[in-house]
Amino acid sequence: MKTQTDCIKPEILRIVLILAVMATLPHTLHLPIMLSLFFILLAIWRFISLTIPQLSPGRFFLGLLTITGVLLVYSQHQTLMGRDAGVSLLTIMLTLKLMELRKQRDIYVACFMSYFIIVTQFLFSQSFLLTLYLLCMVVCITALLLEINRTIPSRRLLEPLKSTLTITLQAIPIAAILFLLFPRISQPLWHLSFHTGSGLTGLDDRVSPGSISQLILSPAVAFRVKFFGQTPLPEERYWRGLVLWDSDGFEWFNQTAPKPSNQPPGLQDTEKSYRYEIQLEPHYKKWLYSLDLPATAPQGSRFTADYLLIANQSVNQPRKYQMVSHAGYLTERPAQNAMQRALATPDNVTQRQIDLVENWLRRSKNHAEVVRHALNYFNTQPYVYTLAPPLYLSNPIDEFLFEGKEGFCEHYAISFTQLMRTAGIPTRMVIGYQGGEYNPLGDYFIIRQSDAHAWTEVWLESIGWTRIDPTAAVAPERVRHAIQFDFSGIGSPVLFQIDGGGVLSSFLGHIDLVMDAANLSWRRWIIGYNRQHQSSLLNNFGFDFTKGWEWASLLAALIGLLLLLTTVFILLKGRLKVTPVVRSYHILCNKLARVGLPRRSSEGPLDFSKRVASARPDLSAQTQKLFGIYIRLRYAEATPRTAMLEFKRLVRGFRPRKYSG
Amino acid sequence: MNLDKIRQWFRSFRRTARTDRHGRARIRARSIYIMPTKQGVVLALVLFLMLIGSVNYSSNLGYLVTFLLGGIWLTSILHTWRNILGLCLSPHHVTSVFAGQEAGFNLLLENPSELSRFGIFVTAKGGSSDACDLAKRASKQLIVPLTATHRGALTLGNVSIHSRYPLGLFHAWTYAHVELTCLVYPAPSTQGEPPTETRYNRSDAGDRGVGADDFIGLRSFRYGDSPRHIDWKAMARERGLYTKLFGGDRNEQISIDWDLLDDPDPEVRLSRLCRYVLLAHERQLVYSLKLPGITIPAGLDEAHKQRSLATLARFQVAS
Repeated sequence: MKTQTDCIKPEILRIVLILAVMATLPHTLHLPIMLSLFFILLAIWRFISLTIPQLSPGRFFLGLLTITGVLLVYSQHQTLMGRDAGVSLLTIMLTLKLMELRKQRDIYVACFMSYFIIVTQFLFSQSFLLTLYLLCMVVCITALLLEINRTIPSRRLLEPLKSTLTITLQAIPIAAILFLLFPRISQPLWHLSFHTGSGLTGLDDRVSPGSISQLILSPAVAFRVKFFGQTPLPEERYWRGLVLWDSDGFEWFNQTAPKPSNQPPGLQDTEKSYRYEIQLEPHYKKWLYSLDLPATAPQGSRFTADYLLIANQSVNQPRKYQMVSHAGYLTERPAQNAMQRALATPDNVTQRQIDLVENWLRRSKNHAEVVRHALNYFNTQPYVYTLAPPLYLSNPIDEFLFEGKEGFCEHYAISFTQLMRTAGIPTRMVIGYQGGEYNPLGDYFIIRQSDAHAWTEVWLESIGWTRIDPTAAVAPERVRHAIQFDFSGIGSPVLFQIDGGGVLSSFLGHIDLVMDAANLSWRRWIIGYNRQHQSSLLNNFGFDFTKGWEWASLLAALIGLLLLLTTVFILLKGRLKVTPVVRSYHILCNKLARVGLPRRSSEGPLDFSKRVASARPDLSAQTQKLFGIYIRLRYAEATPRTAMLEFKRLVRGFRPRKYSG
Repeated sequence: MNLDKIRQWFRSFRRTARTDRHGRARIRARSIYIMPTKQGVVLALVLFLMLIGSVNYSSNLGYLVTFLLGGIWLTSILHTWRNILGLCLSPHHVTSVFAGQEAGFNLLLENPSELSRFGIFVTAKGGSSDACDLAKRASKQLIVPLTATHRGALTLGNVSIHSRYPLGLFHAWTYAHVELTCLVYPAPSTQGEPPTETRYNRSDAGDRGVGADDFIGLRSFRYGDSPRHIDWKAMARERGLYTKLFGGDRNEQISIDWDLLDDPDPEVRLSRLCRYVLLAHERQLVYSLKLPGITIPAGLDEAHKQRSLATLARFQVAS
């Protein structure tokens, strides 16, 4: 007798342990090191204790471990709420569950927790490879559930995996329909993360090469803008956030926090003014975003000398404010100390940077021409604008400029600023957002974290501070279109001038192109799929997204249809395969059963034929012939098709009557 | 008792797999019930939490995995349903037992389809069950144990056939009526000796004395027979194992009689009688059984024992 609560074999427990650890492992990259250690050490201990049961922890010790784990989470995060602390807590809970893994129920709990942990990984990374890995883990964990529901363990590892893949493949259409049609809400339900300082909440006040390209993966909304009257052109939509002045050669930051004053900085010869309203999502920082350059400071905020808007309190709640900005302007000459700050260069400026700059200086009459030479340099040299630049470690700017030549907007902005300062031109870096996606349903622009951008401002005599975007010199599309969240956007990566250095390099360049294109469509279709795509997709099929019932009935109908199709598929697959000969034989048996001679389940054709012959001598001649043909057809080696058809005809012609007498 | 009636009334709506004239029940699509298990409900809650998290962080990959698992959750309904669909359950055999023992009902479970089935359980009313996995077009014997509490006929009756395969998220079940009856003998009492008073039956061929000297015949070997009595010559001729029986021409005969006992409780008396039958059989005594209204003439072979025990089992059982 077997029941479903039997104790589980250690082999199964070992697999549960391995799978749960594998599902959690990517988290160790960003969990606090103490928690990662806690998790890995306890998992190893549990693994050993499965072989040597004397080492398994007692109840008292488990309680102790629980308290230790929770205290550890609290000491590392100072809270138990929010994304990071929540994930830590979840990891600790899974670890403790693994420690007391014994019964079938524990396995279910561990598997469900692993599922949850897999989903939380996407809050930290959305790379294609990680997704592939985690989907494999989902299948493996599901296969484990399948395995423990069998009575006898499967002989081969592949067996449960194969069955799980069948189920998964049948689930994919349902998942796809849900993914495409589940309503995307543009704003979060609530904020679990109170200033975590991590990239997802928005721009930070420090920028280093690679810091913005991480942010670019997040489709979270930064703010929304509604224009009254005229709308600026895409290349005018620079949303100013913060100005960075100081650098140590690795990072850009402000040594002194921007000082707001009641006196707004002067702005002359303004033209092209835009009136708009910004609805800012909380970003837990003090600065407000505005279209370059703001002319008025909204309530509760003040200007700084570098045209920033600093709020009195940090933005912890959604905030709405109305603004006026000018696209054409002439700024005042900055103070002397600001000029000095805008000329300071870090210590790690190399000789080849100086050589490069001196080359430009020799060929130019004024600062504006130096800037033009620099932009031209970025444009004509084989610089690549990519979302996944290599890591530059020892001297990031120098390595990027002369070796890697692959970078994202911050690489270009930082190196441009540094080169201009080396040339003696006052330059500062601006971070904010660029572009934005128009939502025709509400007539407003959505600016997402993925629109994060960095550019520079150069002080030119008689023109004042001038916005220079070196990224535009390399990838003009970046400025006119959103990089990957645009439906009609570019199909290939923004890649200029592949060096035609032979077949191999062009081939490698091609692989790069394909990989980057795959990555890009992955980002565009999966990660970047949003409300706008959804509504345009539905509109293509003639559905109105705004009508809830139409949407709901479409979803229900499609899922019902898919389930029905799956059912039909399952039933057809399970249908007993009968050869035509056997089918005709079944018809023959049914005919005999109708006249009171049912075949017993234990009876073969020979025995049955004898019984029929003795019970119904009047039929014996016919039946003996039919049974004879059947036995020959079924068990003889070669069965000609004609004989089979003949048998079928004969069976059809066989019409026994009820015995009368 | 009112509750019983309501329960009965509800049971009349219960869907049961139909049984054909050979007692074979085939599980049809319409007789299957399916409900989420505790695990299924918990996973649904976990998926809901995942969905809320994905909405909150607008994580499309979160949606992706959540919906994939949701799809698996939905699809597993169909697979659980299919896992018991089309199975055939038929009664096989059951061996008689004494009251208080466990009767093993042998049932035959067939899978007349091209799909393998896993984790199929057959559970009797008392909760005892047996499980098996079935390859495609295979059949297996299951043994459902049921404790025989009192003598008489023990019918297996309604059993449920159920499964949670593949993922344990859903429980699909159906009922089938199995017409398989086990005869339960009274529990043999632990003490008492059969009556020693013997009668001598004069043989027709004349009295040649009591004893174990004369060969009277052969019977097939049973465990416990003395090796000295085995017919080794027959064995050498490859005829099998036989035991030589000896007896005088006069045989000893006892009468196992209801009226010889004085216990007021009829069940206790039957227990005693049962013990006597077993002891008499063991000691190779010829015995007859007398119950009010029933007399079983003397005999000593296995069939005689079975008949006697069956009579005791059925004696005055309220139908």
